Amino acid sequence: MKTLRLTTNAFKGLTKNKMRSFFMMVGIIIGITILVIVLSITQGANKKIMTRINNFGPNAIMVHSGGGKMRGPSSVSEANLTQKDLRDISSIEGVTTVSPFQLKPEMAIKYQNQSTTASVMGAMPNWADVWNRGVSKGDFIRTEDVELLKKVCVIGETVKNQLFPNSNPIGAELLIGKVKFKVQGILQKRGASPAGTDFDNLIVIPFSTASRRLMNQPKYIAMMRVIVDDPSHLKIISKQISQILRHNHHLSSDEEDDFKLRSSTQIIKMIKGVTGTLHIFLLLIAGLSLIVAGIVIMNIMLISISERKKEIGLRKAVGARRKDILLQFVLESLAVTLSGGIFGFILGIVGVKIMELATSIPAVISWEALALALVFSFIVGIIFGVQPARTAARLDPVETLR
Amino acid sequence: MKCNKTKAHKMNKIIKAKLITKIYSKNGSVLVKALQDVSLEIEKGELTAIMGASGSGKSTLMNILGCLSMPTSGEYFLDGVNVNTLNDNELAKIRNSKIGFVFQQFHLLPRTDALENVALPLLYSERSNITKLARQALEDVGLAERIHHLPSELSGGQQQRVAIARALVNDPEIILADEPTGNLDSRAGLEVISIFQRLHAEGRTIILVTHDQEIAEHANRIIRIKDSKIVGDEKVKNQLIARDELENLPTEKEVMP
Repeated sequence: MKTLRLTTNAFKGLTKNKMRSFFMMVGIIIGITILVIVLSITQGANKKIMTRINNFGPNAIMVHSGGGKMRGPSSVSEANLTQKDLRDISSIEGVTTVSPFQLKPEMAIKYQNQSTTASVMGAMPNWADVWNRGVSKGDFIRTEDVELLKKVCVIGETVKNQLFPNSNPIGAELLIGKVKFKVQGILQKRGASPAGTDFDNLIVIPFSTASRRLMNQPKYIAMMRVIVDDPSHLKIISKQISQILRHNHHLSSDEEDDFKLRSSTQIIKMIKGVTGTLHIFLLLIAGLSLIVAGIVIMNIMLISISERKKEIGLRKAVGARRKDILLQFVLESLAVTLSGGIFGFILGIVGVKIMELATSIPAVISWEALALALVFSFIVGIIFGVQPARTAARLDPVETLR
Repeated sequence: MKCNKTKAHKMNKIIKAKLITKIYSKNGSVLVKALQDVSLEIEKGELTAIMGASGSGKSTLMNILGCLSMPTSGEYFLDGVNVNTLNDNELAKIRNSKIGFVFQQFHLLPRTDALENVALPLLYSERSNITKLARQALEDVGLAERIHHLPSELSGGQQQRVAIARALVNDPEIILADEPTGNLDSRAGLEVISIFQRLHAEGRTIILVTHDQEIAEHANRIIRIKDSKIVGDEKVKNQLIARDELENLPTEKEVMP
């Protein structure tokens, strides 16, 4: 009862000197605002990483032709992976599926008087399994299509919308380059990557047809997608693939890889590398501003205590014990920091929403952020409130009431 | 709290101070002997004035009687309790429940209305119906209409009445008033004294600390202090009645803020 009365009094006290309360709160508000924004960015980035990993496949390894640091998929023109590579990788323990495919970006596509450009993939039937992406209509590439080098294709939604805005594409014949292909299916929609690549602007044709009839690359394979039995084996299998390819390609130890491996582990590393430094920097700012806020609060509290000596003396004269005074001033600084923390949290949410509009970072507002804001406000309030409160509690009423 | 049984039969003596000495020292060297071997007894229901010039030691005596400071030597019994044996928390409790202070400077909390100012001692008590008690105390000093006024919106006399209500609110054994009229004009001062006289008539024990002979003559006993010692203790023969004096004052417009 008594404590409750003192607590409500502490919060009421805030409104009695609004100017002072505001200045005490500013630092906390800024610190908590930054903290909330940083947390949101971190969680937004984590969400992004998770989507990327799920899109990529958490247990997939991509093998690209060509070395160097170049990002993105390898086109058929730089293909240097062999059938032996494919066989050797397939026989690694833990590898469940290997799906080779050819890729040629920006190929001219034509249907009647409509034309567009799209990436063309030459794929095996197991492409649908390894990408977890089949057809929404019609048939995917079948084994016989590959065996017989059939000129059939499966088109993505974007291609369909470009060339067949009003008609049913199944059964229609379109031109890829100068070769006629019959449409036998429509790919499931996948959308765009965060980088902007449209996964639906794609045509899939049989692997053999692509290699021999369209892309003139009968010997080499541009890319392979390797599926492993467990994501925890990604690292070791990647290493084995790397050894096999280096051996098969006769690379000496001082030569660089002429292929690239990518898996979700690398993607996580890549994204974290970009955002990690920023987070540490911002958290540092948040931490520093909270410390500065605490020091400011401590100073204003000390000033306010010397201004309120008479009040403290009086409270003691009418029966306040030392611990009552201590509690009062700790509660007052807590009232400041907790109110500041809540304002900061609200401001942080506003900031995050604005950032969401301005950038592609998704705004993630969690209860953890609110909890953390309150916890930090509480800690700052206690750490920097106790010292002034002790000073107040020690004052001698006889001296102060003189 | 220890209760001295041997004093139990003298419970009508609410204050009993024996050979109280207070020495203020700094850095170990004796600086001021503020009180020297002061002994006094005050009965329940007395209206006592403690008189002395500034520096005489009367404020020190009041601080000791009010349990705000401890004597260097000597014993002080308040309502039968040996105050010397109490710790800080017990002293705070005594101040809260047995003593009501009224100060020259009023010492009201700024930015806090009359009601909350009066309720302040109750915050540190175990009582529950705070607002009701505070309201009642304000009615008691004639400020029922002013309960939500801030101190800055009240005249000096009204502020001191708020302070008296605050002293009364926890129903203390004694009221200690330190120069309660010192900051007031004569009319407001007489009004305050008349409240004290009414409270005395209602059976309260009141100690008025003052340097003003005329104010002191409103009490029924005057204890004089000079140079840290009691030099006189007499009954007042022709006690002044503040209410009568107020009636005889030239009528002027009620002093309002």
